[in-house]
Amino acid sequence: MSGRLFYNRSSGVKPLSRRSFLLQAGLVTGAIFFNGCIRKIGGGKPAYAHIKGKLSGPNAKAGHALRDKLPMPIPSSQQSVKTLIIGSGISGLSAARWLQKQGETDFKLLELEDHTGGNAFFGTNSVSSYPLGAHYIPIVNNYDKPLVDFLQENGVITHFDEKGQPYYNEFYLCFDPEERLLINGHWQEGIVPDFGVTDNDRKQVIRFFNLITQLKNARGNDSKYVFDIPLDNSSADDTYRKLDRISFHDYLQQNGFNSPYLLWYLNYCCKDDYGTPALNVSAWAGLHYFSARKGTAANADPNAVITWPEGNGWLMKRLRETVKDHVQTSHLAYDIQLDKNGKVAVKVLDLKQNTSAIFHADKVIMASPQFVNQKLLKNIARPGFDASMLHYSPWLIANLTVNEIPTAAKGMVLCWDNVAYNTASVGYVNANQQDTKLVEAKKVITYYLPLCDKEPRLARLAAYTRTYEQWLDIVISEMEQMHPGITEHIEQADMWLWGHGMIAPSVNYIWGSNRQQAKQAINNQIFFAHTDLSGISIFEEAFHQGIRAAQQVIEHNNGAA
Amino acid sequence: MDMNKKLPVLLLVSVFIIATCGLIYELIAGTLASYLLGDSVTQFSTIIGVYLFSMGLGSWISKYFDKNLLGWFIRIEILVGLVGGTSSSILFLVFESVSSFRIILYGLISITGILVGLEIPLLMRILKDRFEFKDLVSKVFTFDYIGALIASLVFPLLLIPYLGIVRTAYLFGMLNVLVALITCINFKHEIKGAKYLQSASIISLVALLTGFIYANTITNFSESLTYSDTIIFSKSTPYQRIIITKKGRDLRLFLNGNLQFSSVDEYRYHEALIHPVLQALPDAKNVLVMGGGDGLAVREILKYPQIQTVTLVDLDKEMTKLFRTNEMLLKLNNRSFLSPKVTVINADAFSWAREQRKVYDAIIIDFPDPSNYSVGKLYTNTFYAIVKHLLKPDGIMVVQSTSPYIAPKSYYTVEKTLQSVGLHTVPYHNYVPSFGEWGYIMAMSKPVYKVPDHYLPGLRFMSKQCLEQMLYFPKDMARVPAQVNKLNNQILVKYFEDEWSTVL
Ligand SMILES: Cc1cc2nc3c(=O)[nH]c(=O)nc-3n(C[C@H](O)[C@H](O)[C@H](O)COP(=O)(O)OP(=O)(O)OC[C@H]3O[C@@H](n4cnc5c(N)ncnc54)[C@H](O)[C@@H]3O)c2cc1C
Repeated sequence: MSGRLFYNRSSGVKPLSRRSFLLQAGLVTGAIFFNGCIRKIGGGKPAYAHIKGKLSGPNAKAGHALRDKLPMPIPSSQQSVKTLIIGSGISGLSAARWLQKQGETDFKLLELEDHTGGNAFFGTNSVSSYPLGAHYIPIVNNYDKPLVDFLQENGVITHFDEKGQPYYNEFYLCFDPEERLLINGHWQEGIVPDFGVTDNDRKQVIRFFNLITQLKNARGNDSKYVFDIPLDNSSADDTYRKLDRISFHDYLQQNGFNSPYLLWYLNYCCKDDYGTPALNVSAWAGLHYFSARKGTAANADPNAVITWPEGNGWLMKRLRETVKDHVQTSHLAYDIQLDKNGKVAVKVLDLKQNTSAIFHADKVIMASPQFVNQKLLKNIARPGFDASMLHYSPWLIANLTVNEIPTAAKGMVLCWDNVAYNTASVGYVNANQQDTKLVEAKKVITYYLPLCDKEPRLARLAAYTRTYEQWLDIVISEMEQMHPGITEHIEQADMWLWGHGMIAPSVNYIWGSNRQQAKQAINNQIFFAHTDLSGISIFEEAFHQGIRAAQQVIEHNNGAA
Repeated sequence: MDMNKKLPVLLLVSVFIIATCGLIYELIAGTLASYLLGDSVTQFSTIIGVYLFSMGLGSWISKYFDKNLLGWFIRIEILVGLVGGTSSSILFLVFESVSSFRIILYGLISITGILVGLEIPLLMRILKDRFEFKDLVSKVFTFDYIGALIASLVFPLLLIPYLGIVRTAYLFGMLNVLVALITCINFKHEIKGAKYLQSASIISLVALLTGFIYANTITNFSESLTYSDTIIFSKSTPYQRIIITKKGRDLRLFLNGNLQFSSVDEYRYHEALIHPVLQALPDAKNVLVMGGGDGLAVREILKYPQIQTVTLVDLDKEMTKLFRTNEMLLKLNNRSFLSPKVTVINADAFSWAREQRKVYDAIIIDFPDPSNYSVGKLYTNTFYAIVKHLLKPDGIMVVQSTSPYIAPKSYYTVEKTLQSVGLHTVPYHNYVPSFGEWGYIMAMSKPVYKVPDHYLPGLRFMSKQCLEQMLYFPKDMARVPAQVNKLNNQILVKYFEDEWSTVL
């Protein structure tokens, strides 16, 4: 076979050679295009005619520019800055906040979009704010001091009780009822399948969660937690780390978990948190999802979650608050060089003015994903690091403004998280869950569809080919399955497509050498902070990625002084 | 096939169906009238009277039909089907908007009666040449009575429980039209304009079928069926369905089907809700009421001359408007909303309370029961903590807290939740005949509640001795262990549902 293998061998999806990739890509996109044409000829389905909305996503122009498809204006100005942060996702904002906390004042944060937030960005319409990506965090590990401090600074943790337990703000703890599952024609409370399942299934579920309880408290031979957050604090004990070398799917099989309901649930969890099924996730990552969170609270259950209408956009705004004067949006970093004066020269395109500038920085924190960094650093070697081994799951998010949610199936009423058994999506969340109002005429619900039916590159290509109407077909047919008759109640449907949604913790990524190399600073001048360097894309990792990079910068500054 | 043989069999089957349908329409009218107008004995006997009389009228008219008997028979079948089939929908739909409901009711009954009355004589005349007379009479009447028997059995046992009254009417309407259609097809050579009649029956059949399918939209009104008294008002607001019924002197308010008060005994509830609080606060000037859009709690509050302002927060504008404008209701709440001391605010209590800074001497919380997660939020520690901030340090608040007899877990959960925000509680209860044993909880920042030693003159229920009894909880209502009800864990809604489902 010729061509480079770019998809993980040990994952369940067959690796593709370049040639067969191109063939498949042609077939898939051709089919979608053809479907679109037929759709046009047939005239748009009148059933959707009343639905307003559009398809959007991360800035496409920036994407083109990075892929060398746009000629760049010649840099017309120069600037100096001590520390330059690229990217205003949670990692970048957290880095900026940390620098500020440590007394740094000379830093800038560049963001290519016209807004901050990255995957924690959100939207707002006349009914509600709503997430476009990240939408919640579980209550945090009590010993995670920096995060606990941040939450307390912002009133998420209001105080500690006499036993030292954090008291979470009740308006942010997810309101009851929290989650339901449509299974066997019935809405049951909770997502672990229970309604209509056999005793054997139930026994396996119990066995699995007993295992998790054990792993939650387990420590390795270095007496560190086996699974911790940030994950780099986890034990190095190979008894557990070796679990990174097999897929979660294989691990479950080897351990006799074969209940279809349990396996569905665990697969759903992988899709929900990592955007890809258990087959493509390492066993270590799969277990981390359940075992790393050990937080407790004075006023909530251990597995409670905190959320806001705008999702993690709320946390993002709090992070931004103190550093907002340092942020420059619509600024794309497109080239990075180490210059002769011992500085880092960063070429930046002002996307609004279409002008270019060079920033001369002592230190740079790249809080941008590695598939971007690879383009920016094309002239700088990162030995031992292969960016093409990182896989990013694409996602489609649909925010639906509805004036009613008809229910056919009996059982649990509308919850925050609403999932249907054996569907492509991971369900929808009610963006208005944290509203204290008794009655809302309208609601916004956020539907999450991980695009993981094909390997990521193919799925991404297919996704970019689809039109708004084709997405509507997909989203609505599933919503109709959950709520027959809902179409006429959907007033607006805004689609958001994440081409590179989140890093997938593929087999051997988290504890393989590639990730270790990826984190290595370059020349003690360029530092990295992004959740793709954790391998698990969650707020807590991003938050710590930022702190770690900022801390490195500060240490090197101090060392030099 | 021999036409002469086929005809009688077919027409006799028709007799059977016609008879069934005829009785069903009568039963439907009677049932509907007693549902909607109350007093079933009167309704049933007048309906049956009018119906039988109309049938007689129909039989008498039948002699004016001379030619083309089969054609007329088919026409009449279609008409009976249409009128009978749509009758219950029409009655439901016009009930709310028409003042002369009875005219339409008896009008429909008469038309159906006349048409049904026409059927049998016409049929007998169609059949008379094909049977011997005594045979004919015996056959027709046998089928007629069997049909009637079957109708009277299936109506209460099968049709009403499984199809509901609106669908039943459509179903039998369709049967009538089907008789027309089949007769029409089989005897197209004997009938003038068979084509035209055939299409007319098909169109009618489709129309009735549509009605049958969309019957649910119509029966959205059918909640009226659960109210045994006369509905004098009903309206759907964005928040709830308000229904007021009247039977004799008894006015009742239902919100979403749940009884809120009966005018006969509501004084027991409202006196118990208000006076233990206000009698203990002789200097109270400003009172806040949340919920209570009927103005009855405010009526009790205004009995204290020293009260200067009453602020009432109720979600539903339609509700407060109704109790501010309707003469009968104004009499009941003693025009409380028209008092210059009273300010009515239509807002969501939770959001409203969060914005307030003003404090009150007394706060009355009179929300609907915590039967769903939305209302349940108004029974959480978070809400009570907010309300506590609106209460003066020596003020008293009171919460209507469902029945400690039927739902002790729910009741004591409310108490525990109030305590969890640092309030001291005084639970009490009384008997309200239309509710049963009912519970209230006073809450205050100070640990002392001074039991009042006298009450306003003119109260019908509250007295010093009475409160003593109300403060005492017999063993079957004794305190049970409870937890705090929170926004992120609404146990109260679950308890409430469990405890009440065993009674309802
Ligand atoms: C659909 C979806 C749902 C999710 N749900 C959750 C959730 O519920 N809870 C949770 O904890 N996590 C969730 N996540 C994970 C989420 O990705 C992380 O929590 C976190 O927001 C990642 O932050 P980051 O800073 O590492 O990366 P990013 O959010 O990717 O931030 C990178 C930023 O850099 C900018 N950038 C990139 N290149 C350049 C350049 N050249 N110049 C300038 N700027 C540049 C980008 O525009 C972006 O703003 C979700 C992710 C997705 C996709």
